[in-house]
Amino acid sequence: MPDPAKTILHAIGLQKRFGGVVAARDVDFALTEGELRCVIGPNGAGKSTFFALLAGIQPPDAGRIELEGEDITRLKPFQRVRKGLGLTFQTNRTFHAMTLRQNLDTAGRGGEEPAPFRAALTAFGLDRGLDRPVTALAHHERQWLEICMALRGRPSVLLLDEPTAGMSPVETRRTSDVLRELNSGGLSIIVVEHDIAFVRATAQMVTVLHQGAIFAEGTMAEITAREDVRAIYLGKVREETA
Amino acid sequence: MPQKRRPNPLRAAFTGPHDIGRTPPGWALMGLILLGFLLYPATASAFSATNVAYYLLNIPMALGLSLLWGYGGILSFGQVAFFAVAGYVYGVVAGNMTADPTLGSILGILAGLGAAGLLALIFGYFIFYARVAAWIVPILTLVLALLLSTFLGLTAGSAWKVGDVALGGYNGMNIPSLQIGNFIFQDYAFYYLTVATVVLCFIGLRIRVNSHRGQVLIALREDPLRTELLGYDVRLEQLVAFVIAAVLSGISGLLYVTWGNYITPSVTSLAQASLPVIWVAVGGRDSLFAVMILTFLLNQLTYVLSSAGNQYALIITGVLLVAVMLFAPEGLIPRLIELGRKALRLKEAT
Ligand SMILES: Nc1ncnc2c1ncn2[C@@H]1O[C@H](COP(=O)(O)OP(=O)(O)O)[C@@H](O)[C@H]1O
Ligand SMILES: [Mg+2]
Repeated sequence: MPDPAKTILHAIGLQKRFGGVVAARDVDFALTEGELRCVIGPNGAGKSTFFALLAGIQPPDAGRIELEGEDITRLKPFQRVRKGLGLTFQTNRTFHAMTLRQNLDTAGRGGEEPAPFRAALTAFGLDRGLDRPVTALAHHERQWLEICMALRGRPSVLLLDEPTAGMSPVETRRTSDVLRELNSGGLSIIVVEHDIAFVRATAQMVTVLHQGAIFAEGTMAEITAREDVRAIYLGKVREETA
Repeated sequence: MPQKRRPNPLRAAFTGPHDIGRTPPGWALMGLILLGFLLYPATASAFSATNVAYYLLNIPMALGLSLLWGYGGILSFGQVAFFAVAGYVYGVVAGNMTADPTLGSILGILAGLGAAGLLALIFGYFIFYARVAAWIVPILTLVLALLLSTFLGLTAGSAWKVGDVALGGYNGMNIPSLQIGNFIFQDYAFYYLTVATVVLCFIGLRIRVNSHRGQVLIALREDPLRTELLGYDVRLEQLVAFVIAAVLSGISGLLYVTWGNYITPSVTSLAQASLPVIWVAVGGRDSLFAVMILTFLLNQLTYVLSSAGNQYALIITGVLLVAVMLFAPEGLIPRLIELGRKALRLKEAT
């Protein structure tokens, strides 16, 4: 059972610049075991960069990352995955030349199927037709398949970058249901999301990123009550509709 | 349960998804081809059988490139370097042990394949662990082949004698046949040795591509970063495939030098370096079966053309490559099979 007093993933003072852009600015972030956290923030806030730093796709300019108390800052991405990180990308990156089964087999590294994986596969309705090619799937099913692939490798922390992008409200709702179900089984999850309805339905705690830095952190009620957070978001909405 | 247990490897080799010929008609065709090759010497002179062995002996090298490029997405223009290294090392070792030809043959084989594998391990380590961009790999491997060719060309003269064996520069080097006891592998025996080697390499690679590791290799062809983020050391997977392909080139190199008892630096020249890529591309690079068949046919074509005094063998092969890349980029055999299926479906429909 998860221990809410234990920090499972800890980022300390993460920094990352791309040329003149500061994509991560002194990011201190702690995820307790069994938590389901949403990370929100306008486009370009540094959400994907934060995940890239956690997964080791980008090296940080400064700072440290600990997974279950162990310093993983210098580990390669594949080593972090083997230590318990599971990750999906913002753009769908299932293997298109393969069947569902082959995708999942590849994700399994030859190990047994973990129970959360099987539960999610069934809940998403992907457990039938495993010999179909991925190209036969609808967009939202590919997103779901990618979540299942991440689960197949037995992660202790799941990082999902905009998993509901392009989904209908019903599909988004179902994604939220499955994630909460997985979380109540003990899995620690961080979800980057744009969709405020999704965040409201899903998150226990919310972290707001803005210009690479953590701008606010708290429950959804606390966050939405803050005038300055609304300002960032309203600004974003105006940009997007402009 | 969404996943069945994996079938045993040999079964997977013939039913697995990653090659053509995984259903009864395919097996029947393979069986017939094999039977044809096994019975061929009954109707052929030793001379003809030896020629056919020559058309076959490049197949292991081509299959290795198919694994590396067709399945793994790593294009190498340097497979002939490993072919040459194995051939030369075998020649030096066996040539120095003519007093005990059996031991000379065995140690020569081990040393030849070991040297090819070791060169690939060292060279591949620098390529893959430095994570050079994928498009540079063909150039680096080609440079390896050409450097080796140039170096071997400089080995004329008595300074380049290893024990009793002179490397010989462009004059080449004489090499003893394979010999076990008093039995020398030549004529029909060499033919059967070659057929057996090709069959074993083919089955071994079919097992490999239909195994979990093969699946990973195919995954990293499509998306290396995604594969790494499923927990695979992509560099290691690439290096292993590179070494396997090099050892397979080495096997072809050994067959070549024990077939002709001779090797020169020209085996790793620019023209030679391009040939495996052509065989594999024309055949259908992600089908071991197609590569095997086309490598045989193209080697036969080249040999027949050039021994008939035709200087245009390489040009004809090149034109064939261009034509196939234009009209059937997935390869000749996969295209023919597709056309065959379409024709069948049309017939059924009418
Ligand atoms: N690989 C990269 N190279 C250069 N700039 C990058 C790179 N990745 C992200 N950035 C920049 O860093 C900032 C944060 O990007 P990102 O993390 O993708 O934001 P988000 O996911 O919150 O939309 C943006 O300004 C983006 O242009
Ligand atoms: Mg993003």
